[in-house]
Amino acid sequence: MATPSKPVIAVDVGGTFTDVCLLDPDSGQLEVAKVPSTADPIDGVLAGVGQAKVDLAEVGLFSHGTTVATNALITRRLPRAAMVTTRGFRDVTEIGRGTRDDLWDAYKDNAQPYIRRRDRLEVTERVDHRGRVLTELDAGELRDVARILAKREVQTVAVCFINAYANDANERRAAELLAEELPDVRISTSASVLPELFEHERFSTTVANAVLSPLVAGYVEDLAQRLRTEGYRGDLLILHSGGGVMTAEAVQRYAVRLAASGIAAGAVAARHTARAAGYQHAIGLDMGGTSTDISLIHDGELRTTNEWYVEYGHPIVFPSIEVLTIGAGGGSLATIDAAGSLRNGPQSAGSDPGPAAYGKGGADPTNTDANLVLGRLGRRLVGGGMELDHEAAEHAIRTTIADPLGLELHEAASAIIEVANANMANAVRLISLQRGYDPREFALVAFGGAGPLHAAAIAADLGIPTVLVPPRPGAWSALGCLMVDIRHDLSEMFLAAADDADPDVVEAAFTRMEDQGRALLEAEGVASDAVALERSIAMRYLGQWRSMEVAVTEGSGLDDAVAQFHREHEREYSYRRDDAPVELYRLQLTASGPAAELALPESEPDPQAAMPEPTETRPVWFDDRSEPEDTPVYARDDLRPGLAFTGPAIVEQLDTTTLVPPGVDAAVDGTGTIHMTISQQER
Amino acid sequence: MANRERTLDPVTFEVLKNAFVTVVDEMAEQILRTCHSFVIYSRDFSCALCDANGDTVMQGSQDIAVHVGTLHLKAKAVLEDFEGDIHEGDVFAVNDPYRGGTHFPDVSLIRPVFADGEMIALAQANGHWADVGGSVPGSFDVGATDHFGEGVRIPPVRVVDRGDTRNDVIAMIASNSRSPDDIIGDCHAQIEATRVAESELFRLIDKYGKDSVVAAFGEVQDYVERLTRARLAELADGTWETVDYLDFDPGTSEGLVAVHLKLTIDGDEVHYDLSGSDPAIASFLNAGAGTAFSGAIASAKTFLPEIPLNSGFYRAVIVDVGPEGTVVNAGWPVAVTGSVSGAYEKIMNAGFELWSQIMPERAMAGCFNLEYLLVGGRDARTEGRPYFMWYDWMAGGWGGRRGRDGQDCTSPVFGVGLAVQPLEGQERLTPVLTSTHQIMPDSAGPGKHRGGVGVRKGGTLTQVEGAVMSYCCDRARSVTWGIGGGLPSIPHGVWLNPGTDEERFLGANFSGVPVVEGDAFERPSAGGGGLGDPLERDPQAVLADVEDGYVTVRRAALDYGVVVEEIDRDLADYRIDDEATQKLRTEQRTTRAGKLDEDPDAVAERFRAGELDTMDLVRHYGVILDWGAGELLPRTTQQYREMLKRRAAASWTDSSAERGA
Repeated sequence: MATPSKPVIAVDVGGTFTDVCLLDPDSGQLEVAKVPSTADPIDGVLAGVGQAKVDLAEVGLFSHGTTVATNALITRRLPRAAMVTTRGFRDVTEIGRGTRDDLWDAYKDNAQPYIRRRDRLEVTERVDHRGRVLTELDAGELRDVARILAKREVQTVAVCFINAYANDANERRAAELLAEELPDVRISTSASVLPELFEHERFSTTVANAVLSPLVAGYVEDLAQRLRTEGYRGDLLILHSGGGVMTAEAVQRYAVRLAASGIAAGAVAARHTARAAGYQHAIGLDMGGTSTDISLIHDGELRTTNEWYVEYGHPIVFPSIEVLTIGAGGGSLATIDAAGSLRNGPQSAGSDPGPAAYGKGGADPTNTDANLVLGRLGRRLVGGGMELDHEAAEHAIRTTIADPLGLELHEAASAIIEVANANMANAVRLISLQRGYDPREFALVAFGGAGPLHAAAIAADLGIPTVLVPPRPGAWSALGCLMVDIRHDLSEMFLAAADDADPDVVEAAFTRMEDQGRALLEAEGVASDAVALERSIAMRYLGQWRSMEVAVTEGSGLDDAVAQFHREHEREYSYRRDDAPVELYRLQLTASGPAAELALPESEPDPQAAMPEPTETRPVWFDDRSEPEDTPVYARDDLRPGLAFTGPAIVEQLDTTTLVPPGVDAAVDGTGTIHMTISQQER
Repeated sequence: MANRERTLDPVTFEVLKNAFVTVVDEMAEQILRTCHSFVIYSRDFSCALCDANGDTVMQGSQDIAVHVGTLHLKAKAVLEDFEGDIHEGDVFAVNDPYRGGTHFPDVSLIRPVFADGEMIALAQANGHWADVGGSVPGSFDVGATDHFGEGVRIPPVRVVDRGDTRNDVIAMIASNSRSPDDIIGDCHAQIEATRVAESELFRLIDKYGKDSVVAAFGEVQDYVERLTRARLAELADGTWETVDYLDFDPGTSEGLVAVHLKLTIDGDEVHYDLSGSDPAIASFLNAGAGTAFSGAIASAKTFLPEIPLNSGFYRAVIVDVGPEGTVVNAGWPVAVTGSVSGAYEKIMNAGFELWSQIMPERAMAGCFNLEYLLVGGRDARTEGRPYFMWYDWMAGGWGGRRGRDGQDCTSPVFGVGLAVQPLEGQERLTPVLTSTHQIMPDSAGPGKHRGGVGVRKGGTLTQVEGAVMSYCCDRARSVTWGIGGGLPSIPHGVWLNPGTDEERFLGANFSGVPVVEGDAFERPSAGGGGLGDPLERDPQAVLADVEDGYVTVRRAALDYGVVVEEIDRDLADYRIDDEATQKLRTEQRTTRAGKLDEDPDAVAERFRAGELDTMDLVRHYGVILDWGAGELLPRTTQQYREMLKRRAAASWTDSSAERGA
């Protein structure tokens, strides 16, 4: 694929900013740039590339994370789409599971289905759960449906038949007939998108794929075209929700796999930082202005989930990196509720008016205001950014929080931050640590604009001994688009008791998926000896409803897999039932191959590195102290690899401030990552 | 008002409060991932952290509504029965609906948590087990009149004794079930969930100290109480009254059964008074006192959704369920398992109506009734012909709202987290082939803001042996109603072999009907009731409903007075005939009130002759029949018409509306 000696570039388009990372493997130079995202995201991409001052003709690989699919789903700016389904089941995606995200608020509705009811049409056909065709597809009806769809100028069709996971003959026949009648229309069939049991989840995923398909394909084509115009000659790789990349060609078939592309990048970047620093287990904490994304890395891999959605009620059942997003960011508002209790978030001041300190009319205090009042944030953002209004921040905290609670100004500011940190720590606990993982074995990777300011306190709360702050925290997620493999996730339903399952049949199924995975990767230019294949089986105790994935290797018997299942079940849920029969549910295969051999620049740490001169010294309030402490402030670029120091200290750079609390030891490694060591007593 | 001293600083308080939310949500996550009962998996369960008195400190954010307000009662039952005999490492089970439980299938596992040798808390996981015995599979016997036909009653019993699991006791309970393995699995899943809570509490104690944690238990309840009182104090004082109905009492002749609700806002408290409700009936739709309490609390919570739930809420929302012996306070041994479809439902909806008057900005008309259809027997598809249970519930429509239509196809008010099951899963597990599962056109109650649409689901039995069908529902006669001029939706009820010579209407409440291979069945879930006069609905909204097939062209005219013409069905293209619409609406305004006084016998006759249909009767004539036989129910009709005049006609502004008022 990529020629490693040429520079590689990663562009991550987020809701607010487009981040660009440029890496020159020869010189070891890592450049980052940050530009505002634009209405046509490609404009932002090219602006970012321009700001990084890169000649695209010299670039060997272009990798890209994008929220274009996510945004299209949320805004419903979708092409005219239709669904063709089994007679009697037109409303599967609208009825869904009937549940609502907010159980008690009868005025909070689910999002509407991606395809309106009028555009969901039925044909006569039926297959049973064993895959027997009970009723052949009525070709006449299908042609009539095709005629209607042509008249409606539909651009894309989801074909979703009941039990198609067990036998997709009718679906395939329908797709053929539609293709004959509607040659220019894109067609997604449920069994080819997601050959899995449960109609709502399969249909919903297929519908999302169908509505995104023309759009994403068009986007990728446009981007490739404009990159070519700028001189780029290499491959275009797109980050997918599962944390791998796919080629522009694969995107055409699996458009829905991009639905969490933008979120995945940060998690992948966190994994990279953890691995590079020698940690197999880590929590990624990507804290921005309005929200925080939390991810979990165990044994060097990100946790993935099949249970996610862009909008509640419309599941997308492709493996996606598990990211918990909570409403806690620099702009989260601190309030006192009707019962006199201090709250923090999830409401946010956003970027307009923003925190009170922005001086744009925001009257309510935010985390940013509290950090400013405590001296943890400087009055002027480095790099010539805006001047923060200290008085406005003080006034907001005093009137809204301090006076009503009878607290001193700095006590109130400290209380605001403590509540924010505790909320984030709780979120980390819920998705990760309480699943049997021991926090003492983890590192906390802190990035995003606000992460490094809060990380030490959160780690102390969770008992996590190490905080890692990568060199460019504000634009770090873009790096996630580069540090990945080309990856495909394949699966087959396989419902059988472990005792009854024929190992030969299981082996044959895995072999089949491996052949398919290899073929996909080889078509994308991965050398056959570089292909990595990983098998897993989803299993459960007979009678359970959720399954758990257990990694298996070729040649290891089902007995080993079952033994492994008991162990994992005990680790995760703290009990096992050795006497209970175990059931296989689904066979899964991950096929991956390297997109490029890349390493970040690294220099030899200099143990003699001298402490640079602080850019200033300012009073900073820390927890439980009645007086501020004079704290040195350093410029990040002045911190050389090998440097070690003890807090209190503040490290400032373009768009991030790192807080090293009193007594915390910090060290800079060869990649420029700051390691903070948090003692158990530190809170 | 609680006068407890606030000892915790604001940060510790907020941190511990949020940590308690995490504790109960972690329990829920564990249950969801390890449970065996598909009913639990579909989220019919709840978790709570209770203090040493059994009062609830925190309840799961995704908990099923019907368990709200019952968990502290079960905790207190354990404390009462085992006073002086509760030890570290114990776990207790209880399901007793006469001690505050909901119904027999809801079994709570309760673990006392000790710190320094002192019991400081109880962790509780409550889940709906698929079968706890009784005379029919699934333990839903409509015909049961006392608890002995319903299932195994579990007073507080110890299932783990100082760390040792008492398998004998668990086996005794499981042996009374048709699916003992699932029960043992669920029992373990719930016991372990309570252990998750325990270890989380230990972590909090290590960090903040026992005294702070225990103080927070009390202060979190005080906090909720303050929050609730502050909200209630903003509302005008007053008293509101209404009556909702169950369909009938099988022990007497026809006639609706009244649930009476009087609601009083007095300063910073609200009082629910259910006295005056009819005597307990000879079916299992009665509620025990705990379930009735829960219905009242859940209706209040629906209008105060931002307030967390714990025992502090119950100090400001005060419920009097009235004397024992009524349909809302049936004592032992009256059958109560169907309360969730019966009295509980009616208390909630009556509450919705009254709260809609108190807080019009959150108004909501009546919602469809919780319904469970159950087919049980032997599955002849496989060797050994094991027992199967096809146990199905549907989403339906919620009531029209202020400024917008009701929510379409939503889980019942009984529990919005209760998920509809995938039919592909059902077809694997049971010999039932689903023939249709889709939105039912015209199922929504008409209104200026119509109700949400309901759903129709049908199926055919394949290889079954010795199968019977049971249905736990209601509102075939006390049809889901509208408010403020809005109209009712449609009756609930199951049809066997519809459209054939064998067609039978089985009603909305029956048990043990024998069914055989090849039998087909179908039933709707009702839409929600409408809010406001349907003749004031924006014709464009009616048009959009026609384009999407939520409303038919025919009923657009009959129910909304909007005349819609088809232009091109292929393009879903329709248009409104403005002139004809205006004319039709004018005409309907002059004739509609009179329909509610037409001779019911004559209306029934026109129904039997095919001139009028069910929707005409329940919406426009207020006439209720036995929908299968077509036979008039005179007393029911009289009560229903009074209801319709009060909730609908009284709000119409027609010149002739006085006749209906």
